Amino acid sequence: MGDHNSLNLPPGFHFYPTDEELVVHFLHRKAALLPCDPDVIPDLDLYPYDPWDLDGKAMGEGNKWYFYSRRTQSRITGSGYWQSIGVEEPIYSSGGGQKVGMKKYNAFYIGEPSQGVKTNWIMQEYRLSDSSSTSRSSSRRRSSKTNDFSKWVICRVYERNCDSDDDGGTELSCLDEVFLSLDDLDEISLPN
Amino acid sequence: MSEDMNLSVNGHSKVPPGFRFHPTEEELLHYYLRKKVASQKIDLDVIRDVDLNKLEPWEIQEKCKIGSTPQNDWYFFSHKDKKYPTGTRTNRATAAGFWKATGRDKVIHSNFRRIGMRKTLVFYRGRAPHGQKSDWIMHEYRLDDNTTTHHDSTINASDSSAAGQEDGWVVCRVFKKKNYHKTLESPVTPRNDGVVDQILMYMGRSPPSSSSPNSCKQENEFSPNMDHDHFNNPNIQSAAAGFMHLPGLETPTMNPSIHLSDQDCGGFKSTVNDLMTDHHIRGPSSDWVALDRLVASQLNGQPCKQYSTIYGTEDQFSFPFDHMHDDAHEMQLLNVDSSDRPNDHQTETDLWNLMTRSSSSLSSSSSDPLCHLSV
Repeated sequence: MGDHNSLNLPPGFHFYPTDEELVVHFLHRKAALLPCDPDVIPDLDLYPYDPWDLDGKAMGEGNKWYFYSRRTQSRITGSGYWQSIGVEEPIYSSGGGQKVGMKKYNAFYIGEPSQGVKTNWIMQEYRLSDSSSTSRSSSRRRSSKTNDFSKWVICRVYERNCDSDDDGGTELSCLDEVFLSLDDLDEISLPN
Repeated sequence: MSEDMNLSVNGHSKVPPGFRFHPTEEELLHYYLRKKVASQKIDLDVIRDVDLNKLEPWEIQEKCKIGSTPQNDWYFFSHKDKKYPTGTRTNRATAAGFWKATGRDKVIHSNFRRIGMRKTLVFYRGRAPHGQKSDWIMHEYRLDDNTTTHHDSTINASDSSAAGQEDGWVVCRVFKKKNYHKTLESPVTPRNDGVVDQILMYMGRSPPSSSSPNSCKQENEFSPNMDHDHFNNPNIQSAAAGFMHLPGLETPTMNPSIHLSDQDCGGFKSTVNDLMTDHHIRGPSSDWVALDRLVASQLNGQPCKQYSTIYGTEDQFSFPFDHMHDDAHEMQLLNVDSSDRPNDHQTETDLWNLMTRSSSSLSSSSSDPLCHLSV
């Protein structure tokens, strides 16, 4: 998208939202039809883009792409499909520790549904948790409305590359970890 | 001082939601450090000058915070201080401890051209050689000696003055290695999606047929071709801890379902723990010579990937995702394994100790942890 270039942030500032920000700021505002500021995440609805076609359509930052979509049972794209890997994580607010959303993991398969070949493409699908929307609406009457809200999701798509050491220096590389543990050997006194 | 850091960018009072200062290595070197070295003005003073000898790592996060957004890493410029006037060694001692380099420096490229180097350092409390290793990590970036002489013209004017200074300024990123306690204290950290990511690392290696029913047999294979990051994952660590407290594996009455009770992490994490525990209990009936070679190859700086060729195809490794609750079945596999090669499991315990031990908690293993290293 490149929309965020208009924000005129100095070099080094990038879109690295936390799970909580994605849910509480971007997803909740979208669901509540509030304006998102900054409006950087595009709405791709259910367009059947393959993950490698997201560049230029979704918001790309680093090797990750972000877009709004809707909840659906089957995400079939031009070349394959997304399939849940059966793992969901709750998202908590940092303030009260309240559960605000869920994060679901999908893997991309190339081919026909149920017989595709798994790829390294991963989609994290964020949705509002039901409890978060009901707790925000003070009355029972409005909870039916919030059910509609929960149909929006934010997708974060990236390709997992096991062999890449290009971590941007934000974590220890695989090799660094090994060196780090080997450093301990210096301080072990050998029994003999 | 820190008032300066309240960001006011083009009238915005702060960085918009979702954005944070998280420069790429190229941005750090090519934009920030080059400007610093050339004494050029940097539009926004987000990277401070810090005297590393006067600042403990836990003070850095206060000193170098940017706005009010949560941060997992902190940045600063620092002067390299020579330890001895004539030598090349750098003095990185603070009042409470010292920074010690680990591993080897990594070359940083930009558009396939080498622009600088990254050194990794670990903070130890106390004084060498008796320091106690901490979780504070520093990446220290320096420009290549020749970087300032043959790139584009943006800082040419100050090249001459920069040349004398350039090994004086470095730009540093400090962060805390992910660990168990941090996860407990703050269940939601900005970048805490590590657990599932670690699993995905495994899954990325498994063949697409991993969900097919005949993969049970394959699960018995143990592939040491895993990233070392796993050993620092809090859940894996606790899984390993659980493993180490098991009775000897030659005991035929062992209970296969190890549930970690010391944390209340919800169903998902305990599932992960079960998963990892099961995996590593069932896995290890393998060739330890091969694992020795892995360690040796790591020492020699060869990438992990090479190892998979030693060990055959990745297809032999299958993540037991679909069988995580199949305890009875796993029990059978377990018994077969443990009766066959009891000694191997002892060996594995040693390796786990070696890899997962924090500096303060030496395990109670009775045998020599070095005996399986062939280097």
